[in-house]
Parts: sequence; C-alpha cells; structure tokens
Amino acid sequence: MEEPKIGVFICHCGTNIAGTVDIDEVREFAAGLPGVVSARDYKFTCSEPGQLQIKEDVKNLGLNRVVVAACSPRMHEITFRKAVAEVGLNPYLLQIANIREQDSWVHKNGSTEKAKALIRAAVQRANLLESLERREVPVTPSVLVVGGGIAGIQAALNIANANHKVYLVEREPSIGGRMIQLDKTFPTLDCSSCILTPKMAAVGSHPNIELMTYSEVEDVSGYIGNFKVKVRKKPRYVDSELCTGCGICIEKCPWKTDSEFDMGLGKRKAVYTPFPQAVPNVPVIDPDVCVYFEKGTCRACEKFCPPGAIAWDQKEETVELEVGAIIVATGYDLLDPSPLTQYGYKRLDNVITSLEFERMCSATGPTGGELVLKDGSAPQSVAIIHCVGSRDKNYCEYCSRVCCMYALKYSHLIGEKTDADVYQLYIDMRCYGKGFEEFYKRLSDEGVNFVRGKVAQVTDQVAGEEEQGKLVVVTEDTLLGRMLRIPVDMVILCPAMVARADADEVARRFLINRGADGFFLERHPKLEPVATASDGVFVVGCAQGPKDIPDTVAQASAGAAEALSLIDRGTVEIEAATAVVDEEMCSGCKICLALCPYNAITFDEEKKLANVNDILCKGCGVCVAACPSAAITGRHFTDKQIFAEIDGLLADVKPPLVAV
Amino acid sequence: MVRQIINPYKEAVDIVKEMGGEALRLCYQCGLCTGACPWNVLKSFPVRKLMHEAQLGLLDFEAEDMWACVTCGNCVQQCPRGVEIIDVMRAMRRTIVALGVGPVPDSLRVTMKNLAGTGNPWGEPTEKRADWAQGLNVKPFSNGAQMLYFPCCTTAYDASVSRIGKATATVLQKVGASFGILGSKEACCGESARKAGDEELFQRLVQENTAAFAESGASTMVVSSPHCYYTFMNEYPIAQNGLQVLHSTQYLAGLLREGKLKFSKEVKKRVAYHDPCYLGRHSGVYDEPREVLSSIPGVELIELPNNRENSICCGGGGGNVWMETKPGERLAEVRAEQALDVGADVLALACPYCMLMFEGCLTQDVLDRLELRDITELVAEAM
Amino acid sequence: MVTGTYEPTIIGFLCNWCAYQGADLAGTSRMEYPPNVRPVRVMCTGRIDPTFILKAFAEGADGVLVGGCHPGDCHYLEGNYKAIRRITMVRRMLEQFGIEPERFRLEWVSASEGAKWAKIVEEMTEQVRDLGPLQWWENVREA
Ligand SMILES: Cc1cc2nc3c(=O)[nH]c(=O)nc-3n(C[C@H](O)[C@H](O)[C@H](O)COP(=O)(O)OP(=O)(O)OC[C@H]3O[C@@H](n4cnc5c(N)ncnc54)[C@H](O)[C@@H]3O)c2cc1C
Ligand code: SF4
Ligand code: SF4
Ligand code: FES
Repeated sequence: MEEPKIGVFICHCGTNIAGTVDIDEVREFAAGLPGVVSARDYKFTCSEPGQLQIKEDVKNLGLNRVVVAACSPRMHEITFRKAVAEVGLNPYLLQIANIREQDSWVHKNGSTEKAKALIRAAVQRANLLESLERREVPVTPSVLVVGGGIAGIQAALNIANANHKVYLVEREPSIGGRMIQLDKTFPTLDCSSCILTPKMAAVGSHPNIELMTYSEVEDVSGYIGNFKVKVRKKPRYVDSELCTGCGICIEKCPWKTDSEFDMGLGKRKAVYTPFPQAVPNVPVIDPDVCVYFEKGTCRACEKFCPPGAIAWDQKEETVELEVGAIIVATGYDLLDPSPLTQYGYKRLDNVITSLEFERMCSATGPTGGELVLKDGSAPQSVAIIHCVGSRDKNYCEYCSRVCCMYALKYSHLIGEKTDADVYQLYIDMRCYGKGFEEFYKRLSDEGVNFVRGKVAQVTDQVAGEEEQGKLVVVTEDTLLGRMLRIPVDMVILCPAMVARADADEVARRFLINRGADGFFLERHPKLEPVATASDGVFVVGCAQGPKDIPDTVAQASAGAAEALSLIDRGTVEIEAATAVVDEEMCSGCKICLALCPYNAITFDEEKKLANVNDILCKGCGVCVAACPSAAITGRHFTDKQIFAEIDGLLADVKPPLVAV
Repeated sequence: MVRQIINPYKEAVDIVKEMGGEALRLCYQCGLCTGACPWNVLKSFPVRKLMHEAQLGLLDFEAEDMWACVTCGNCVQQCPRGVEIIDVMRAMRRTIVALGVGPVPDSLRVTMKNLAGTGNPWGEPTEKRADWAQGLNVKPFSNGAQMLYFPCCTTAYDASVSRIGKATATVLQKVGASFGILGSKEACCGESARKAGDEELFQRLVQENTAAFAESGASTMVVSSPHCYYTFMNEYPIAQNGLQVLHSTQYLAGLLREGKLKFSKEVKKRVAYHDPCYLGRHSGVYDEPREVLSSIPGVELIELPNNRENSICCGGGGGNVWMETKPGERLAEVRAEQALDVGADVLALACPYCMLMFEGCLTQDVLDRLELRDITELVAEAM
Repeated sequence: MVTGTYEPTIIGFLCNWCAYQGADLAGTSRMEYPPNVRPVRVMCTGRIDPTFILKAFAEGADGVLVGGCHPGDCHYLEGNYKAIRRITMVRRMLEQFGIEPERFRLEWVSASEGAKWAKIVEEMTEQVRDLGPLQWWENVREA
C-alpha cells in the first residue's frame, strides 16, 4: 500500500464547534499525528470554499486520505465523498470525525480533549482505508403505494400521471380511508365526499394504476430500486370482471351486522360495499356473517345477481410484484376512550366519539344526517371534550393537531342541525394553520361557549333539578378559577389519533422505524420528512404522525416526488461496503449461511467455499463477526480499521501492561 | 386594578422547588387536578391555582389552603403532565415549617410537638404503648418469633381504634402465628410529620425505628395502617435491610390462599369496602381486602360508586386527621352517604386513620345505621 | 486509588441506524452529558466481534458501552439478537478476568431516544467513576 498522506480539515461550524472546542489546539495536535501532512481549519468546511480547500490540498499536496472533523457523518459524509471524488480520490478514502453532534453540542467541558481523541482515531483509521468501487443496478420503474386513504390516493395519482405504473394496495374493500368517513372538512367546510370521490374515481379508472383492494402486503424483499413484494388478495366471492355494481345482491341479502364504516352506529349486509360511492364498486361477501359459509343455504345474492357474478369458489390469492420504490400511507386509528373511565364512554348513553359524530352528521350515515340522542330526540346542549388522551402522559404525550379545529367545525355543524348550546372544553386552542384563526373567529361569532379546563368527569349522578336526566360535565374553569357543572344532553369526545394497531408488523415488514409516539419515523424531522431508515421506502400522511388533510396531501405529493426522482433516475448505486470471503481461509463450515438475514451467502459445493453475493449483501457484518476462521472481511469496517480506531481513541489513557 | 409584583418570596419558592416540588415546572394549567380533588365536592380548593402560584412565586403561605390537601393522590394519578402534586404540597408545608413564612395550624403544631417528645401524636407516655394488648397474652417480640406486628400509634393509643389491634392479635393467635410486638421500643412511622412538612422530625423517627427493627432481628412485619405500610415500603431503608412488610389484609389473603384461614361463623351483612388512599392508589393493593371480605361466610360485598382507583379519601390524610374540619366540609360524610345509598349495613375499613375520621365525623344517627368495622374485626368475628 | 479528579474513559460501539442516530439526536437537541464515552460507529451491533470489546479494555478503556436498536428494530432484522448471544459470552469472559459487570453495558437506544442516550452515558460514567480505574491485568497476573 502507498504511503498515506493525510489531510485533516477541521470545521468551526460557525460557533457550533468553535464555541466549545479549541480549534487552534486541535489543529496543532492533528498536524503532529503520524501520516498527517496538513491540518487546516475553516469556518464552514461544508460550504463551497470549504470544499475547495479540501480539493486544492488533494491536488497540490497529493493527499491520498482525507479526514474531516465536523458534524455527524450522517449529515455530510455524502457531501465530502462527492468533493474528494471530484478531484479523483476514491470516496471511501474519506473519514469523518463527528466533533459536533457527539462532542461540541453535548459537552460543556472536555470537548477539546474528546475532539483530539476522535481525530486521532479517524486518522489512524484513515491510514488503513481502502478504495472501493460502487456498482450501479437498474431500477424497476414502478411504485407500490400501501394504503388508500387520501394520502395514498394523492401519491398514486401523482405518480400515475407522470406515466409510471402504480400498485395501490388497500386493506378494506374500498379506498377512501378516514377522509371518506368525514362529513364536512375544516376550515372551509367543503363536503368531504364531494372533494374526495372524484379523486377516488380517477384512481379506479387510471390506466397506470393497478388497484388492489381487500388486499395486504405479506412480504417485502430486495432493496432500493428492486423490491419484490408479495400481496395477499382476500377472496371477495364476487367476480370483479362480471360485477356491474348494480347492488341488487346487497338489497336481497337478508343478513346484517354492525357497519365498521359507520363506527357501529348503523348496519350493513353480509354482502356489502362499505359506502355507496365505493371504489371499486364491487361488493364483498363477509364469510363471518354470510350463512352460506356456515350452512350452505340462502344464496339469495346468487339467485338475483343479473350477470351471475357471485363466485363462491374464489380463493385467497398471492400476487408477486416488482417495484422500484414503496410509499407507506397506512394512516391512523383513534384511541379507544373506554379506559378513560371518567368520561363514561360505552357506559353512559350519548357519550360518543368524534368519528361517530362525523358519521351521524353525514347525509349517507346511519341517521341520515340527523343529530339525535339515543331516544331519537334532538340534543338541546352538547359538550365537546378536547384532548381525550392527547397531551397526556398517561396516554399519548403528543398533540393530535386536528381536534381543536374539528371541534370548532362541530359547533358549526351542530348549529346547522339543531338549536343546541355548545360548550367547547379545551386546554389550549391550537388554530395555527392557514385559515384556521379566521375559522376560530368565525365560530366565536356564531356563538359558542368556551370553557378552559381539562374535564375531570362526565357523570349521570345529578345534583339538583336542572341536572335531571342530563349528563353532567364536571370541570374547573381555569380562567374563572371555579368548579363548573355543565348539564348537557350529548358529550362528544375527541380522542387522540394513534398509530394503526398493526403498525409494529408493518414497520417490520418494510424495515422502517417507529418513533416514541408509535408513528413511523422519518429519516430527518426537517430535511428528510418522507424518507425512512430504509432506502427507497417513503412514509406519508397520518402514518407518519397526526395531521390534517392539507398537510397529508402535501406530504403525499412530496413522497410521490421522491419516488419519482428515484425511479426516473433509472439506476441506483448499491452499497460497496459489503462482505467478502477470502477463499484461502474459508474452511467451509457454513456457519455464515444461516446468519445472513438476506440470504446473500451461497455455498459452492464443488469448491466447498462460501460466497457472498455483492448485490444482495447490505454490509451489516453479522457474518464477519461470526466467521470462526476470520475468513470474511467487512469492507470499510475491517477488523484492522476498527482496531486502529479503538487504538486511536485510547492512545492518551494509560497504556496497558499486557496485551490480548 | 390591583397589580401584583412577581416574586415576593423568591427564596421561599426556590426552596419549594428544592424540597421536592420540582416537577411543578411541567404543569400546563389544565385544571384536571382541581376537578379530581375530592375537596371540590364540598368546598373550593384551587389545586391548579396553587401550582401556578408556586410556579410564579406568588404563593400565599398564610392561607388555609396550604394545609387542606389530604394527599389522597387522586390528582397525581391523573395529571397529564405527571406533576407530583402531593410533593409540591408537602414542599410548601416544609417551607412554612422550616422558614416560618406562615402559620402552622394550632392542632397540628401540638401534634408535631407530641410526636417529637414521645414518638406518638397524643403525647402519651411511651411506656403505655403496649397497653392496648393487655389481657390478650401478646408477647414482646423475641428472636424466635415468625413476625413482628406493628399496630400504628392510633391503634395503640386511641380507645375507639384499639379494637383493630385487638382483632388483629386475636386472628393471629387463632391461626397459630408466632408473633410479637415491640411496645415502647417503637415510635410513630412519621408519615404525618412528613406530610405536615416536618422533615427533620420525620428523619429522626426513621432512624429510631430502623434501629429498633434491626435490633429486633425480625424478618417479617405485619402492619395495620396503610400509612405505615406505604412509608415503610417507600421511605424507609427497609427493603435494603431485608425486612418484608405486609399490610394485615395482604397477610390474611396469603393465609386464605394457603387454606390456613378457616371460618366457623356467618356474618350476615351487606358490606361496602372503603379503599384507603394509602393502600389503594398509593400502594396498588385493591384485591386482597376484597378477597378476604368475600371469603367471610355470609358477607355480601358491595361496591361503593367510587371504588378502587377512584376511591374518595376519608379526609384524614396529609395530617388532616389531626386538624379540625368544619361540619359540612367532611369527606367522611360524603363517603358514608354513598355507603348508605348502596344499601350497606357495614362500612369495612382497613386503616386506623379512616376509623378515627369516620368515628369522629359521622353523627350518631348515621352511626346507628352504618356499622364501622375493620376487616380484621369481621374476620375475627367469623372465626 | 480513586482520586477526586479521576475521569474514566469508556468506549462506545454504536450501530449506525439507531444508537448512533440517537446520540446524534442528543446533540441536535443540545442535551448536555459527560464527555467520557468515545464512540466507534459500526453498521450494526451484529458486527461487533467480542475481540473489539476485549481490545478496548486491553488498550486502557475503563468501560465499554454497546448501543443498538431495540429488539425487533434492527435495521438488518436480527443483528442485535445475534449480538445478545455474543455478548452473553463476552460477559462470562469479563467475569473471568475479574472485570466488574458494571463496566460493560448493552443498551437499546432508538433513533428518537436522544434523551435516553444522554441518560445512559451519564449513569454509566458515574458508575464507572465510582469503581475507579480498571486494573484488570493485575487480576490476570494474580490468577
Ligand atoms: C374526527 C376527525 C375529523 C377530522 N376532520 C378533518 C377535517 O375537517 N379537515 C381536515 O383537514 N382533516 C380532518 N381530519 C384529519 C384527516 O382525517 C386526516 O388528515 C386524513 O384522513 C389522513 O389521511 P391518510 O391517508 O394519511 O390516513 P387514513 O385516512 O387513515 O388512510 C389510511 C388507509 O390505509 C389503509 N390501511 C391501513 N393499514 C393498512 C395496511 N396494513 N395495508 C393496506 N392498507 C392499509 C386504511 O384502510 C386506510 O384506507 C379529521 C380527523 C378526525 C379523527
Ligand atoms: S392536573 Fe397537572 S398539569 Fe393540570 S393543572 Fe393540575 S398539576 Fe397542572
Ligand atoms: S392529593 Fe387529593 S386532596 Fe391533595 S390536591 Fe390532590 S386530589 Fe386534592
Ligand atoms: S442496525 Fe442497530 S442493532 Fe442492527
């Protein structure tokens, strides 16, 4: 190997590093390290002139290794690799010492000493770095979108309109998600179905979109640009090709159960579409309710179906897809408020959740759009309780972001349908979006009672005449500093938005992470809001965190743009830091074969040697650490490189008396 | 308009924070605590407002409110920001006691003086601490005994509460347990002192008792009071010293599960159980008392509307047992009314303070209709 | 031997996807913690060869802290499960060398747990500081 000529570049990052780390001291220290031919510092090494400094030195001093002491490699490794590559240095001959995130930003004292140790370690490691070649592989130019709520719909349309193939997989019989359950939407009060159904129809008829409803992703393998996906299609027992969507089967079916779409407030048949404008407009038969599956009888639907589309012998099907990018848009659930026993949900009549209220308001809902109590009468007073489980460390610590606004919307809807007095029981009014404050003002003008306080209790234990037959909301009005008892007829709870019940499984399937709040984690909260820890997998909409429709749509389009820029590029570079087997040393023990999570290691029965497939290997290094013959090298993380780094980190502490 | 100057007691407020009221910074003034606090059924007790006053340094240390909290924990259990409200209340009282920035209620001051002098709240002579057991053949604890019984000052000295100790001793004897008491060698657990803000006194009592327990060599201790139980479990170095502490209902439930608790008589009564704050919310013991009660032949166990986690304090916690409560502002009355409403003949208790509070607060008319019995009493009766 | 100014040096092995990101987040969030842990970035805890840990102790580290993704969250599916198994073995070896168990830790830190990382470092630094400098070679010699 050639004699290393290392250049060290120390970044001030304005005062971010220079404020706590003594740059001069560190630079002089670095200059004295073996192999270092130049050590320089600069205000912002990542800037144009900063990069130029590096490039010039590589050219003029003949540097063959570069160490940059700056922010985390997760921030700018790519930037600096590109810079050195531009002057002909292999990008893998660059080493970063993270003296910002893990040093200057977190230590008041001792950051200079630590910076020195980190730089010494980086220099020693750089001594042993080797050039690696990246390979390019072609990208499959299609995208998988998982979840057909407004997020999935928007992303799918964006991509399809750019003339790329989209597979849209939705678990329910129809797309539409939560938005299609809503009545009117804040802050403009436009009707949800009116604005959503045209988009749903566009999805249903788009030549570039293959819609797979009543389906779920079962397995994902492969890597960015080349994913292989298995989708399980549940049997509908209705032939989509033959069905004309006339709905006669639904009319004739005698069997009923609670409608999931109507939050259990209404009924649906055993053969059903969740709602009239469903896309696709092809019913499904629910085998748990249909008696044909239990007793072999009935078959009313079959008798009456004009095109003979009922297909009892349909079986579950698994389809394999190949896609270049994946967009996860699986949305959210509502927190079940029953554990908050003080609010009496499911125990007291006329305590309902917000989504139940939405269904009640909908003209196609279980009450035909009328706002009624259990006994059929109209409420004279309604209390809306905000933050049920949100902003509460006992349930969900975060703010659900839409409740204040939809609660305001409810004041208006209640006013449209009844003469009821409305009480908003809030902790803080959060009306931060475009048009939101204006909406708040408009509703204040419409005459709503605002009571600031977190409700302690909803009870039917009355204390006095005026409470007879009412639900009593007990709270401190924190602005008055007085306890209030508010007798009302109906209580609407605004439960926290939570991650889908199966979020854990979904995260595992797509190799993405979840945050402390349970939602899927974006790679960077500001600069990479839709990327995930898995290259080529993006997350959009409420699957990433609570948000309203405008934000969901914007994010969905962002996800589509990311996916498009990936598949339009045509090729992707694949990791060069993979594992490689030294044929001389491999004893053929096969231990590594079972360990590799990607089945990237094969065994050559003839030569009795293990072999790593470069394209499948992701460079995790599990096999490297496990090989008993030390025959596998983890490129860019070799034992020698890591030992050198450890050595460098510890060179200033007491030397050992014995070696291992 | 009156303008208030911020921070008249800056030091005092810093001390409130220092003395354990630190979590107070998290309060976002939602008011749930006020709504959850049982006092607000009877009178105004602005818990949330106190938190904000403490945040800004505007506490009125002279106010009666400083002493109202019964430390029942209902607010803490629900606070969405995890504010340790009781710690804040205790810190305020500690500030008053330590710095003299406000008055300590007379009755409480006397109680603390007694505690300091004699190790019990009444100032009764220490030698009399074992008198409750006279005639019961209860032995002083010796090394050979299986366990130590710690009755609580109230049981030991209060004439109307000592029946708890007697019943417990009787049950222990009937099941053939080998046990003993420390008598004059033990002192109050100090819980009231701590909640009343007298930290110094509390620490002294901790030291005295810890030494006495260690010297006795006991490995198991049964206590009658949930207050002693909570304090030993959470604020004494007892676990480290290898001493196992059980509340009497836990011990009885254990016997029951082992088949060692046998009954021979029926107690035909409708019994409602009142969860003491320090056994329930503070210690999480809800099932054992119910297990024991429902095993007694003849007992029909009924639940009060506020039960388990939602139980209402008797009004005695946080040192309130030693202070005057005005008629019409007594939580015990609310509780008794609930028991009568559900048709109970007996209100079953598991705490000497509760017993003292109910005995002291209820009118004869109510007492005629509602019997107050400790769980151990009912067990003893049925054996 | 423990003097008032003794500061331990701890080597941290952090996986690229969770612990390293978590530590970065502690930085982005400006959480202050002691500078005693010096990090080595590896792609996955599954890459950590027991010899790395022994090497760190041999070169003078007073403690070693391994940080990875929570079980089930490993970026490479199961690297951390494999690490758990290896690390059980490492623990046994350290015990034989007479190295106190508090000097070695395996912790799960997700990319969103910056505060947890800061807390772990603080705790471990304190613990190892209390133990004093590691002089395990003396034990080895005696044995
Ligand atoms: C009561 C209430 C009222 C609201 N009112 C308004 C309003 O007035 N204005 C406004 O702007 N916002 C409002 N919102 C917010 C709005 O509902 C969301 O912003 C929006 O629905 C988010 O869309 P999404 O596509 O991300 O998620 P979702 O609507 O939840 O869609 C997710 C889709 O993915 C599917 N899915 C889930 N898991 C899987 C899986 N594993 N495989 C396949 N498919 C899967 C689901 O079936 C669903 O179709 C309201 C929210 C609530 C709770
Ligand atoms: S419940 Fe907690 S956050 Fe709410 S006002 Fe009381 S102390 Fe503050
Ligand atoms: S502990 Fe009980 S008495 Fe004290 S403030 Fe909280 S709820 Fe009220
Ligand atoms: S990537 Fe973090 S432990 Fe495997």
